[in-house]
Parts: sequence; C-alpha cells; structure tokens
Amino acid sequence: MNGETRCREEGNPFLPHPARIVRTYPLTQDVKFFQIRFLNMDQALAFKYKPGQFAMISVLGAGEAPFCLSSPPSRPGLLEFCIRKAGSVTGALFDLKENAMIGVRGPYGNGFPIEQMAGRDILITIGGLGVAPLRSVLLYCLDNRDQFGKVSVLYGAKKPSEMIFREEYFALKERGDLECHLAVDADDTGSWTENVGVVTTLFPKLSKVNPENTYALVCGPPVMYKFVLREFVKLSIPKNQILMTLERRMKCGVGKCGHCAIDYIYTCLDGPVFTYWDVLHMRELI
Amino acid sequence: MRIVKLKKEYFHPFLDVISRQAELWAPVKKGDKHIFDRVEDFNRIEMKTTRTLLPPKKLLVPPAFNTFTFNAEGYQEDLSHVSSKILFGIHPCDIHGLLTLDKLFMHEYTDPYYVKARQKTLILGLSCWPDEYCFAKSTRTHIIDEGFDLFFTDLEDFFLVWVGSSQGDDLLRMKPDLFEETLSDSDIQRYIRWQTERDKAYRTEINFMAMPDLMELKYKAPFWEEAGRACLACGSCSMVCPTCNCYNVLDKLALGGKPGRRLRLWDSCTLVEYSEVAGGENFREHKADRLRLWYTHKLQAYVSKYGKPSCVGCGRCLVTCPVEINVRTISKALEGEDPKAFWYRLPSEVKP
Amino acid sequence: MKKDKLKIGIYELTGCAGDALLILDCEDELINIFHAADIRSFLMAKSDNIDGELDVALVEGSVSTERDLQELLDIRKRSKVLVAIGLCATAGGNQAAFLDPREWEDNLKKVYGRTEMTHTKPLQSKPLNAYVKVDHYLPGCPIDREQFLSTLTRLLAGHPPELHRFPVCVECKWRENDCLLNRGILCLGPLTAAGCRAVCPSHNLPCVGCWGPAEEANYTAEYQLLMEKGFDREMILRKMSTFSGTAIADFAARIRGVKK
Repeated sequence: MNGETRCREEGNPFLPHPARIVRTYPLTQDVKFFQIRFLNMDQALAFKYKPGQFAMISVLGAGEAPFCLSSPPSRPGLLEFCIRKAGSVTGALFDLKENAMIGVRGPYGNGFPIEQMAGRDILITIGGLGVAPLRSVLLYCLDNRDQFGKVSVLYGAKKPSEMIFREEYFALKERGDLECHLAVDADDTGSWTENVGVVTTLFPKLSKVNPENTYALVCGPPVMYKFVLREFVKLSIPKNQILMTLERRMKCGVGKCGHCAIDYIYTCLDGPVFTYWDVLHMRELI
Repeated sequence: MRIVKLKKEYFHPFLDVISRQAELWAPVKKGDKHIFDRVEDFNRIEMKTTRTLLPPKKLLVPPAFNTFTFNAEGYQEDLSHVSSKILFGIHPCDIHGLLTLDKLFMHEYTDPYYVKARQKTLILGLSCWPDEYCFAKSTRTHIIDEGFDLFFTDLEDFFLVWVGSSQGDDLLRMKPDLFEETLSDSDIQRYIRWQTERDKAYRTEINFMAMPDLMELKYKAPFWEEAGRACLACGSCSMVCPTCNCYNVLDKLALGGKPGRRLRLWDSCTLVEYSEVAGGENFREHKADRLRLWYTHKLQAYVSKYGKPSCVGCGRCLVTCPVEINVRTISKALEGEDPKAFWYRLPSEVKP
Repeated sequence: MKKDKLKIGIYELTGCAGDALLILDCEDELINIFHAADIRSFLMAKSDNIDGELDVALVEGSVSTERDLQELLDIRKRSKVLVAIGLCATAGGNQAAFLDPREWEDNLKKVYGRTEMTHTKPLQSKPLNAYVKVDHYLPGCPIDREQFLSTLTRLLAGHPPELHRFPVCVECKWRENDCLLNRGILCLGPLTAAGCRAVCPSHNLPCVGCWGPAEEANYTAEYQLLMEKGFDREMILRKMSTFSGTAIADFAARIRGVKK
C-alpha cells in the first residue's frame, strides 16, 4: 500500500482542527458554497492536498462527515466546499453563518493522479453536484494551464437553476484555451441558450479526442456513471485513464471504521478516485 | 523462545505478585458461559474454558466510549478507557484476533484509542482444548508464536511458560524462584503428547485456502439471498467476532453547561444503516449484500492483503448466530454442500 | 449572540402518561431542561399552559378517540417539529395490540356492550403517523431517560436526533449477555428497536418488545425459529403483537391463514 508515502498526522488523527467559515452563500436551492480557513496558520500550511481528496468536517454536536475539496491546491490558504443539504451534519452547516467555527481534519484519500495527468489532454464530465471534486481538478489545470494539453469540459445539470457555478462555467466558455459544453435535462426558464438533454448528448459536440493521450474524469449522480463510461469506452480511452470519484458512508476517513469498505479496499484510503479498470475488477464500486 | 516451568501450586502466588502492578483480568463464569472480568479473587478464574462471550477486543476498544469531549472553548481528548491491565487466559485464537486488529489500528493512521490501550495491556495467553465449534486448526490459529508476553500451556500439575517479550520476562523476574529453568525429558514428553492429542481433538474443519476463489465464483449463488432472508440483521456476529472492528460515531450533547461528547460505538456491516449515506442512498440495502460483505472480509479480502483469512476459528459466530449463518455454514454452502442451515428450512413465503 | 429559547410543548393522548412522568423524573436535569427551553405546555408539570405556536411538540399516547385526533391535528398545525414519544405514539402501543384489525369492532362491543359514548367517539388505536407527519420518533415503554436527554439536547441545538436503528441484540452483546434465544427462551430482541441498553436480557429476562419494531424486524425468520424451538403459534403471535402495534397485523393475518 502507499501508506508510507502518505502524510502522517502528528498526535490524534481523530481530533478535528478548529476552522472558521469565511464565506458561505447558496449555489442552488439545496447546495451551498463554503469557504473555510484554519484558525491555526501552521495547520493551514500543513494541509497540503491534491484535487480529488476530501476532508472530514465536524459541527460539534451534530456530527462529522466527509466532503470533497472543491478548491484547487494551487490557491492555498482557503478551503472551498460545495455542500448539498442531506443529513444532520449538512443541515447544521447550512444553519451556520459566516465567522462560525467548525472542525476540519484531513486531507484524506488518494486524489487524482495529477503527476501522471501532466502533459496529457483532460476531458472532464460533470453531472450536477459532481462539480464539487471536479472543480478542484479543473481549476488546478487552468492555474497550471501550460502543464496540460487540451482541456475539455462537459457539464450537465437538471435545470438551469441547478447548474452549480453556472456563471463560472459560462465564463469558461469564453476562454480560448479550453472547450466547454453545457446542458440541462430540461429548461424551465425559456431563456436557456445552451444544450438541452442529458450530459451524454454533449459527446458528439466534442472536437477530436486523442484517446491514448487523454485522461477522462467523471463525477455525478450514481445513475450517470454507466452511460458516461460507455461514451469514454466508445472514444477508446484506456480503462486506466478513465477516472471517477465515488461517494460512500465514512465515519473516520482513515481506514478504521470500515463503512466505506468495498471488497478488500477502503474508499477513504484507496479512493475516492478509482479507474474504470478498478470498477471492472471490483464489484460494487458503481 | 525461552520456556520455563511453573508448578501449579505457585500459580496463585505468581498472580498475587503481578496483580499488584496492574488490574488483572481473566475468564470468569457468567451463567454457564464465560467472560473476561476484573479479578481480585484468583479462585474466580476459570482455567478450563472455551471461548468467552465477547473476545478481548472489548478491553482495548470498548463497545461504547468517548473519543473526546467538547465545549465552546475546544476539545479535550478522552482516553479514560485506557488503564494498565494484565490479561490472563487468552487463547491462541484470540491472540491472533488481536494481531489482526493490530494490523488495522496500527497501520497507516495509527489509532491512539487502540494503540494506547494495547501498549498498556500485557497478554498472558493460556492453552485450551477445542470443543465441537472450534476450528482454529483450520485457520492455523491454534498455535501462536508472537503477540503475547507470556503463554501458559496447562499440563495438569504444571504449566510450561513461553516468555514472549521483555515485559513478560520482567513479570517472571518479580518472583524468579517460582520458575524452573530446566525441563526434564518427561516434562517435554508430556508437552508433546498433549499437543498431539489436542491437535486431534478438532472436530470442525474448514478448507480456508479454497475460500477466496469460492467467494469470487459463488458471488451470485442463490444461497446468499436465502441466507439474507433468514438473517435477523441483529449484528451479533460482528459484536462477538474477534476481528470485527467497524464502528459508528455519534455526538452527544448535555445540558447545564456540561461538555458534549463524541462517542465511538461498535457497529456491524450487517446492520441496515451501515452503507447508507446522507440523503438516503443505501449502497447495501439488501441483507444478502451485507452478509456477502461480511464474508468477503473474513474469507477473501484479508487473504489478498495478508495471505491468511481474518477468521481466527474461535467459533463465536457458530455459537452466537440464532439462525445459523456462520463461517461453517457459509463455507459449506460455498463448497456447494447443503449445510442444513436454518435458511434452508425457512419457508420461502408465509402465505395465507 | 443570545438565542431565543425553543418553545416546547409536551402532550399526552391516550396512554398511561408514563413518558411525561419519565420526563418529570429526570430530576437532576429538570431544572436544566426548564432553563434551556421555554416549556409552554406540560400538563403534568405545571398549570400555566399556553397552547400557542411551538418549535417542538413532544406527543405521547396513541390516537384512540376523536378527541385525541382533533388535539393531534391542532398540535401539528402549531408546531414546527413534532416528535412522537413513547411506544403508543410511535407504534400504537398495547391498545393497538390486535392481531386482526377486523376484531376491533367486536372487541369494542364485548368490552363496552351497548354503552353510548357521549363525550367522544372511540377510534381504533393508531400511532401518530397514521394521521399526521411525524418528524422524529423516540420509542420506548416508557422512553429511556438517556435517550430522551440526547434527543432533547440535539433538538435544542437544532440537530435531528440520532437514535439507534438496530435491534436490541446489539446492545445486548455490548453488555456481554448470553443469548436467551439460543437458550430456548422466547426473546424478542431481534425484532425490537434498541435504546433500552438491553435492560431485560441483562437481568436474564427475555425482551418483550417494548421499544416497538426494529427497522428491519424479520418476523418470518423469528417466527420460524420459535416454532422450531417448540413454541405454540398463538403464544408466539401474542408475544410478538403485544408491543408491535399495527406493524405486525399483516404478518399475523398471513400466519393465521396458514393451515398447520
């Protein structure tokens, strides 16, 4: 295992570090954006992460849950999260105002293999809240634009009002150094100017893909994976260059509590980023 | 490893000396079964027991304990479950169980709650005799050569004592004249005879080497659904298993300015909420899927990581599961045999 | 920032008032409870009860009369959060322990004869969620002090309560009890929601099911198991139904339909 290379925490890894909510605002009806800063500067500096990694966030009294980082490591100091209100921890987070204190520990998980992805083309396929981890890797690629080849983004949401960071992605469309296609399943506004249809309907719009040189990334609701993976395979992208990040129940984030176990791996240690080969190789991943 | 001899009449005097150093815990009676309990009266110690109801993991990571307390000012780590203990009477299979937990809790992000309790616990193993539910010989956990400080083999009028660690040696040195360093030929013969007979006494055998492949090949076998339908989803199998380590975490608040607590509670992958995420998506909604995960971990996953099953053959699941879903019946079903388990007798549907 | 105290009402429908009594019996914490919350209505504890808007209503008892129903509908209307407390409110209670819903009218006649009910109309006893949306459930007969306090403190902090979703067996193993079922005793632990810390099995008494049905209660397997152990069918059904309220009615009807 890669345990030896992983950054070991000093002391008790289960104690969260105090952090403050710097900014929070709604992104959609049930998704909020959170910008967080550690109280202790040393902790902020020690928190070195890769896109695709996650952190455990505590609201003391409500509990603790895993959330993937949405900010890129190329913009250190502040951690950003996109969080959907779903359970007691997220419910409590939604009630908190700016300046409120929370607990954060991490970063955990394998993250995207940024070193291997350098120099390659990157194809990012996003469904709904799947934008949370993929925003991190996309912003990282853009911040280090010269290190990557062609960057393409396909982003689907249920309807315009549920397209998280809609403005950010409209702005991306204006950039000359990447390809970006947006779609909504249904337009309930009448003023949507982009595509209507599920995210897979965007694949024909992609300019030519060089499969051997492409890393294809996907994250979205569970139902989406099967269809998007089929498109990636159609494009002949090698199975070990197809990457996805998965969600599981987690109580520790460090391979102890067992909840995220799949076969012989723990999603928190060996994931949450998996390749399409992992999916074929191990049952129950998706 | 050094082996010394302790006459039976010196056993209590020895306990008397060492129990002044730390709490002595040993198997005692509870009804007609046994449990590990704090012992001050050595006559309570049961020397000829089979498995205790719960394995010794309960002393290292208790079923429910505080990990830290918190209030407006911050957090306070809580290690109040940690104390110096001498644990006497652990059988080889349970020592193997602890070694399995060591791999998990001491690997990568080390878990201070386990590690600190483990470091303060001396393990004094004791030989045992199998009953019809033991299958430690099949898991090769009936013998032990690491993971203890002292190991006592009971040969009726005396013990042979294996000295497994420097701390174990320290214990002997507290009363060295109780121990004989030289063993006679007849002592050695006694031990060899005992071991041969003990090995013959195992009546339950399971071919664990075949299990990883069978788990893979029988992934879709119908017996999983049948066992799932019979499963009471009561979690007992995990609670009593020496190598089950899963836990849940819960925050509790208090009134009147008292601090809140974050608790850790024993959990089981056979319970309904085990794989459920916030929002209600349950990755293992069906009991059959949860049971299969349990057995994947025992019979297959650990083998691919460490080359041996994480089952230690203690037989607790055999004596505990009320509906006969256990390592013996499942491994038989995997081998294509009819284990005549409860699930085969359960009517497919209760119809009018 | 000083937060306004949550407005809380504690109400009793048809039941033994044991849950309200248990709250009153939280002696060491009672002052803290009144200090932390604005208890607007608590008939058993005080006389100046105000039936206005509430943040949290704790309602015990089952709906067994038309008057219960009207009171419940009124409470629901003026409460942001409604918590069913105690077995009667969560599962229907002993008074819902009929094995066949069709027997209810007959039983009513048997007990009350032709007596005219003037003050209210009797209804077949049902848990609160048969009529209104219930936000949280706190089971038990009566509720457990520690579970009540952890539920209340979470509600006061604005968090949903987190109760155990597994059966009694888990807590029973935590206390290292020898399984009564395996000793041939009719124990309902596997069918019953945890939360009592397995108090009966820990005293060598079988679980009678007073926390109500566990989320995944496997009636079929437990029934078959008890039949194999030689228990009588009616005895098993009676035991199972005592505290299972309406949850077991269908199962019992199906079993009764099976010819021996």
